[in-house]
Amino acid sequence: MNLGLAALVGILFSVGTYLLLQRTLTRIVIGIALLGHAANLLLLVAGGRAGRPPLITNEPGPAFVDPLPQALALTAIVIAFGAIALLLTLAWRSFVLHGEDEVEDDLEDRRIGRLADGARE
Amino acid sequence: MLLALLGLHAVLAAAAPAVSRRLGRGVFAVCAVAPAATVAYALARAPAAFDGAPASETVAWAGRLGLDLQLRLDAFAVLMVLLVSGIGVLIFAYCAWYFGPRPDLGRFAATLLAFAGSMLGVVLADNVLVLYVFWELTTVTSYLLIGFDHEKGSARAAALQGLLVTAAGGLVMLAGLVVLGEAAGTYTLSAMLADPPAGGAATAGALLALGGAFTKSAQVPFHFWLAGAMAAPTPVSAYLHSATMVKAGVYLVARLAPAFALLGGWRELVVGVGVATMLLGGWRALRQHDLKLLLAYGTVSQLGFMMILLGAGVPEATRAGAVLLLAHGAFKAALFMVVGIVDHQAGTRDLRRLSGLGRRMPATFWVAVVAAASMAGLPPLFGFVAKEAAFEAYLHGGIGPIGPIALGGMALGSVLTFAYSARFVWGAFADKPDVARAGHDGAGAHAPPAAFLAPAALLAVVTVAIGVLPSFAAGLVNAAAAALDPAVEPGTLALWHGFNLALWLSALVIVAGVALFARRREVEHLQARLPSMVDAAQAYHGLVKGLNRGADRVTGLVQNGSLPVYLGTILLTVVALPLPALLSGGLPTPDGVIAESLLQLAVIGGVAVAAIGTVLARRRFAAVLFLGGVGYGVAILFVVQGAPDLALTQLLVETLSLVVFVLVLRHLPENFEVHHWRLGQAFRRAVAGLVGVFVFVFVLAAGQARTSPPVSEAYLAQALPEAGGRNVVNVILVDFRGFDTLGEITVLAVAALGIAGLVRARRRERGDEEPA
Amino acid sequence: MNVLVPLPVVLPLVAAAASVLLQRWLRVQQAFGVLACVGTLAASIALLARVESGGVSAVQLGGWPAPGGITLVADRFSAIMLVVSTAVVLAVLVYALGQLDAAHESLYFHPVYLVLVAGVSASFLTGDLFNLFVAFEIMLTASYVLITLGGSGAQVRAGMTYVVISLVASTLFVAGVGLVYAATGTVNMADLSQRLAEVPGDLRMALGLLFVCVFGIKAAIFPLFFWLPDAYPTAPSPVTAVFAGLLTKVGVYAIIRTQTLLFVPVGRPSVVLLVIAGATMVVGVLGAIAQNDIKRILSFHIVSQIGYMVMGLALFTLAGLAGAIFYIVHHIIVKTALFLVAGIIETATGTAALSRLAGLVRRAPLVAALFAVPALSLAGFPPFSGFVAKLALVRAGLEVGQGVIVGVSLAVSLLTIFSMSKIWGGAFWGSLTEQEVSPTPEAVPRPVPAGGARLRVPPTMLLSTAALVALSLAVAVAAGPLYALSERAAANLLDTTAYVTAVLG
Repeated sequence: MNLGLAALVGILFSVGTYLLLQRTLTRIVIGIALLGHAANLLLLVAGGRAGRPPLITNEPGPAFVDPLPQALALTAIVIAFGAIALLLTLAWRSFVLHGEDEVEDDLEDRRIGRLADGARE
Repeated sequence: MLLALLGLHAVLAAAAPAVSRRLGRGVFAVCAVAPAATVAYALARAPAAFDGAPASETVAWAGRLGLDLQLRLDAFAVLMVLLVSGIGVLIFAYCAWYFGPRPDLGRFAATLLAFAGSMLGVVLADNVLVLYVFWELTTVTSYLLIGFDHEKGSARAAALQGLLVTAAGGLVMLAGLVVLGEAAGTYTLSAMLADPPAGGAATAGALLALGGAFTKSAQVPFHFWLAGAMAAPTPVSAYLHSATMVKAGVYLVARLAPAFALLGGWRELVVGVGVATMLLGGWRALRQHDLKLLLAYGTVSQLGFMMILLGAGVPEATRAGAVLLLAHGAFKAALFMVVGIVDHQAGTRDLRRLSGLGRRMPATFWVAVVAAASMAGLPPLFGFVAKEAAFEAYLHGGIGPIGPIALGGMALGSVLTFAYSARFVWGAFADKPDVARAGHDGAGAHAPPAAFLAPAALLAVVTVAIGVLPSFAAGLVNAAAAALDPAVEPGTLALWHGFNLALWLSALVIVAGVALFARRREVEHLQARLPSMVDAAQAYHGLVKGLNRGADRVTGLVQNGSLPVYLGTILLTVVALPLPALLSGGLPTPDGVIAESLLQLAVIGGVAVAAIGTVLARRRFAAVLFLGGVGYGVAILFVVQGAPDLALTQLLVETLSLVVFVLVLRHLPENFEVHHWRLGQAFRRAVAGLVGVFVFVFVLAAGQARTSPPVSEAYLAQALPEAGGRNVVNVILVDFRGFDTLGEITVLAVAALGIAGLVRARRRERGDEEPA
Repeated sequence: MNVLVPLPVVLPLVAAAASVLLQRWLRVQQAFGVLACVGTLAASIALLARVESGGVSAVQLGGWPAPGGITLVADRFSAIMLVVSTAVVLAVLVYALGQLDAAHESLYFHPVYLVLVAGVSASFLTGDLFNLFVAFEIMLTASYVLITLGGSGAQVRAGMTYVVISLVASTLFVAGVGLVYAATGTVNMADLSQRLAEVPGDLRMALGLLFVCVFGIKAAIFPLFFWLPDAYPTAPSPVTAVFAGLLTKVGVYAIIRTQTLLFVPVGRPSVVLLVIAGATMVVGVLGAIAQNDIKRILSFHIVSQIGYMVMGLALFTLAGLAGAIFYIVHHIIVKTALFLVAGIIETATGTAALSRLAGLVRRAPLVAALFAVPALSLAGFPPFSGFVAKLALVRAGLEVGQGVIVGVSLAVSLLTIFSMSKIWGGAFWGSLTEQEVSPTPEAVPRPVPAGGARLRVPPTMLLSTAALVALSLAVAVAAGPLYALSERAAANLLDTTAYVTAVLG
């Protein structure tokens, strides 16, 4: 186990979470991207210690590193890119429509929230 | 055949709207075919059923759940069928005259017939779950019929009230029936009653089942919905809310009582509730001005009476209860029909505005007198026979401490019954000088057409006939009671038993009743002044209001519409749910190297710093650059870890991402807005820290659990010889796990379509804005 | 190799690709989409028949044997899910032909819809944990596009919430796969089933609960559901309908699959899941009661109903799981039908707000009937499918003495009736001219449309809705055989040997 990498995974999750809890969409997207990096690193950590890249040659050498997590991470990276690109386009669209880079509250929910507040008084 | 009869109801009900478009009010005649056929069949099968050879049918449905369509026509069912379908025929005949031409008659007839079929199902069901099925079908049809005049808010509210009260009871009953079924090992009603389960579960089940019976039969404290149900058209009140549906609870109790009356407090509960209901209903009836409400409270009272008789599980009382069921069905339906006629002809049902109708519609008057007298228990009518039998049953004792209470309650209740019966006849038909002076002398009211009155008149005739010659009914009553409880011995029904205790009691009741009626004004004033101790209707309204308010509050609290709050909740849950299990074995000990190399350690540090930079950056562009730094750093870490392909992809994707970011950021303000916001800074930091530590601990714990070598060793062995590739990661992606890659491409393609769609939507708007 | 197994994934995927090319010819594209869905449905039915007679069917994709390659596995549970979901997908597509305007359709509705179908099918069929992630992503990315179709303001706002939360869930999914791989060294589910059994019970439970959260966000369990009622109602109604019917159930499917195959809990019934089930039921239905718009009411009911399915799982008995499976089947059909009715109302009257609707029973009696049947069914009223489903769960619960959750489930079904009657009383009953004192301050006087004449509804919309309602009635009629099938499926879930053997040989 590579403790340094494991710690970095924790740190990236932590920072990503902090950004997610913001209201500005750009920050939220950055947070998601950080979480994505963290998850990919986690896959790599799960594959064990570092080793020789899994390129098969006829020369003898140290043990190969586990190739499966690499393949999984690669797929995950590409998929995440597609989703984030879409999300950014939505953000652009939202800015075009509303003129602000914020995730607004749901109007109907706020209405019921007000009703409940009214009932409390 | 039983199933076919139910089917006939369903088919005709489905056809009714179309039929009414052709035939108008003739639809009621068509609908009456179904109950008429049922009555004919029941009469034909009656002799066999009386001899203990009931007709029964089974159709498989969901046997593994105990739910098979089992139907059975025993003698008690015959009695109920005559009540349900016999009165049904008369009601349909009555409907044809009651309603003027209106466009929704087809819907009304369909619903009413659907109800008739459902009610028939209730009394035929020989499987407790099927009984529940039909039971709730009557609930739904009742809802639709009460709210038939749905333009009136009051009708809608009354319909909802009836629905909620009876459905709530029904659900409790369902639980009870399932418990009973599990305890008995069968859901077949006859089998369950023949060999009743005992013990705690059976007691609980039998008590829960009462939830349905009490609500459906409008027992205290659930009686209020029945008064509200009077918002329905009068034929509905006559049929559902006096003659049939409200007796479903009584029916169920009658079935269960012989088997379960002695289980922990069951009998005491049923009889006690019955007494309370009988008294409360009678008392309330004495202050009503609306004739329909007067009758409705009368029905409540009589339903209590039936509970007392049929819920005791005592043979003689059971028999008396069967008599009362029949008698009540006859006189109460007739009385409701009379109210409908009065309403129809005079334009009001308010006894403060009715006067002189006895002179103007004498035939109706006499029908009402006969029916009301039967209700009051006057000889020589059917109701008198029923009441005598009831007194007899309880005078014999042997019912335990609840017996005397029941007897007293019945006597007092009968006094009230006499008084409100008299009040009814007086209120509807008497000459009232003060009312006439106020201009309501009923001058516009004409006698109804003979055919309009005929159904009520027929019931009145039955009431007299059975009263004078009760042996007509004795065979039916004996057989029906014996079907409920084999211990019932056949007896005769008689008008004259000699000068026995029951007769003296009856006489006393009549004298007291006359006195009570004579002092009706004082009684009314007294009632008006007495604060009502428990107003169940208000409790219901409070409950519904509280429910609505509570729903608003809970929803306003959890569903506050804010994305950061949602995310915070989700992340906290993700941590909180697995955490106890994760920590139950203590913290995992860190085991491994800090880093592979100094270079790696340095890069790790760099990435961490860049990550924190994304938080601290005040400008959007800077934050994105920091993010890019993290991405490129991660790529280096991939290289160090021995994953060059991954690193390459990461570089490529990171660069593309940066480009997209920059493209979008061009449109956004340069700096982040500053928000002061209710999710406090401390909360965010706490959640963030928690998540980070949680993930770290989880990684350590999971990493230490590995015992077997990874499956990827096979890849290393197979890549070159079998897949022909040296780059194992590549081989995995295109060969071993090519399906993942196909999915990945699909995701990218769809995302591209989505982006294109959003861009096109924007273009179209711009195109629209430009002047053509 | 059994070609039938991958067909429900491959068919819509190929059709989607072709559909993009057919973009210019709208009619052809429409017909092509319907045809593809019919084909997928046929393949799913054939697959179910095959699994019924021949047991679990596994296909090693590319011929690479498990655990190295990706395996598609069809057992009874997945085959049932496939059949129901493709039936619903087909009905909604036909419905959409009448509802979506050309503008929406030109925004790639058809190809993306077909990709969604492929993603859903793949989720049901895959026997590989990471591939399940990929399948989810296919489905989700398609759903992102569909939910923002047209890109109106409300949609973008709601869509953003939806996308962000889904992305967080996806990231957690990848992290979960990483943790599982760290602990076991494999991602093949049959292989995992064996290797996880050797992992310490606490860690297995922690992993299992992590995945409950991951899938629970999709499945909309308490307290992870908040995004759903905000996001779903804004989309075009066919999209909402298919999301409501299907997507959350894919999450439920994944929870059930992973909890029975991978992270089998030590204690049964699982108290955690029972608590989640109860809370989900109650909070969901209370949310529904608080709403004032048909689509939002129905959205909250999705949440509430998910609780029933989780309840069946939590019991971890044959009867409980069978009840859960039956419940899912019933719910997918009924819920979709209800949303289709809501869509009809919205299309015909221009609103789904109860304060602006009234008297539809007179103006559209057929629509009223089409609403009443699934509404009663949803509330568990007999003799409809929902009653059988509820009865199965009630029996399962009482069988193992779990009276509390049974009580909660019955109480919630009363509240469901209450909430459904609000729609009935508000939209179908009442009169348009009536001036009522409304409890909500901003309620406006009900508008009087021209003459209150009969509503005009496109026939394809009525037809497909009626077909789904008929299907739900068929579920009730055929409850016996269907429940028996659910029981056999549940038996397969509880005894995983057949599954593992079919995959690993």
